[in-house]
Amino acid sequence: MKRLIVYPILMALFLCTASKVFSAVKAGEAAPEFTATASDGKNYRLSDYRGKYVVLEWHNNGCPYVGKHYKSGNMQRLQKEWTGRGVAWFTVLSSAPGQQGYVTASEENEYVRKMQAAPTAALLDPTGQVGHLYDAKTSPQMIVINPQGVVIYDGAIDDKPTTDLEDVPGATNYVSLALEQAMAGKQVATTTTRPYGCSVKYADSGH
Amino acid sequence: MLARRAIFGFSLALALGFVLLTCATCTRAESTAIPHGTLELVGENQWIAAGHDFNLGLHFQLETGWHIYWVNPGDSGEPPRVKWQLPEGVTVGALQWPMPRRLGTPNIVDFGYQDAVTLIVPMHADGSLKVGEPAKIAAQIKVLVCREMCIPGTAQLSLVLPVKSESPASDARTRDLFVAARKSMPRTAPTNWKFGLGEARDSFVLTANVGHEISQAAFFPLAESQISNTASQKLVPTAAGFRLTLQKSDQLLKPIERLKGVLVLSGGQSYLIDVRVGKTGTTKS
Repeated sequence: MKRLIVYPILMALFLCTASKVFSAVKAGEAAPEFTATASDGKNYRLSDYRGKYVVLEWHNNGCPYVGKHYKSGNMQRLQKEWTGRGVAWFTVLSSAPGQQGYVTASEENEYVRKMQAAPTAALLDPTGQVGHLYDAKTSPQMIVINPQGVVIYDGAIDDKPTTDLEDVPGATNYVSLALEQAMAGKQVATTTTRPYGCSVKYADSGH
Repeated sequence: MLARRAIFGFSLALALGFVLLTCATCTRAESTAIPHGTLELVGENQWIAAGHDFNLGLHFQLETGWHIYWVNPGDSGEPPRVKWQLPEGVTVGALQWPMPRRLGTPNIVDFGYQDAVTLIVPMHADGSLKVGEPAKIAAQIKVLVCREMCIPGTAQLSLVLPVKSESPASDARTRDLFVAARKSMPRTAPTNWKFGLGEARDSFVLTANVGHEISQAAFFPLAESQISNTASQKLVPTAAGFRLTLQKSDQLLKPIERLKGVLVLSGGQSYLIDVRVGKTGTTKS
């Protein structure tokens, strides 16, 4: 009798977890929990940062749109400014092994050192677990989470979707805007935009 | 004596006329390298004339596997951007984009072109153009070329076209290119085709009445951030056409009044449609 009940339930559970159902998290919704190992060797769990603002920065060191923000020093400036104001800033590396942007822990540490970047940690996500959880489509793509664990911004880093370095200074930075507005107790004016950049190189990217 | 002078004068006139016709400084096509391909600026016409329209073409030729993006690139990428340097009296219209292809992966859907594509550039020369003074038209083109990686490129191209009084004749050398480009351009839908757009909370439903059942249809929105690029477009054939459900984009925050885009039917037929959004609940999904 037990078998008739248990097996169908097990089958149902198996089917539910086996199928990848990417219902994309949207601004205004709870940020899904994750744990990831960073290039410093430590594990980072999102819920450990309840009570702080968190920024997730999708990164691919070969993408010219990411290059625009690193060559200009823009991303490093943002990381320094906001971590200095108590924000936990995580660079997320979701490229699969063999794809552009995939890095080992030591390669990422070397990159951070060379670029004088200042994230709280660089999360290694080669299986794309975190990327798929947040439906990250491009690098760069930025997600801002408030101290209550709610996504308050999801999208482009700024309003200049180009690879041109000269477009950095005059751009409206959506990350800084969201953090400033939320920290001041105001409503975040722009909660979502189309992220611009190169596609995130998950395992199904081909080549 | 008179006859010889006449012959001489006539020959001179012929020679001058020939020089004016051939235009030593004119270039009707220019090509340059871009990442993993070439870009050519070509003219459809041998010359331009005051008060007449004419067309140029931006012909991209790409190495196998590399692509560029449509005016709406989709989830990632960026379309080519053109800055024109035009002489007095010449104006440029909106780029004409051939029917796009769906590229990318199930989770990241882009729109663009592989192998080769020609964008047609409609132009107009107004009455101020002077016959005999060739017109130089230049363009700076920024283009993103991608395969497993993306490489941005910049090209600077120019043409020098003769200015004549007769209406522009087509250039036999570029004729095939423009014929092929026009074949792949989305057309205006026949006037007897009727479209409606219903709106539900998370989707739009495009209904088409074309006079017969349609079993294959896909919609490519012209604007970004209106329709989800990854969601499948559920097609229900009807006796007179079809109903196509289009999931809204997560980035669609404000209501839209119209939905414009390219409708692609079987056999590569494509149509540019512009449908007004109906009231919520007017269409049963």
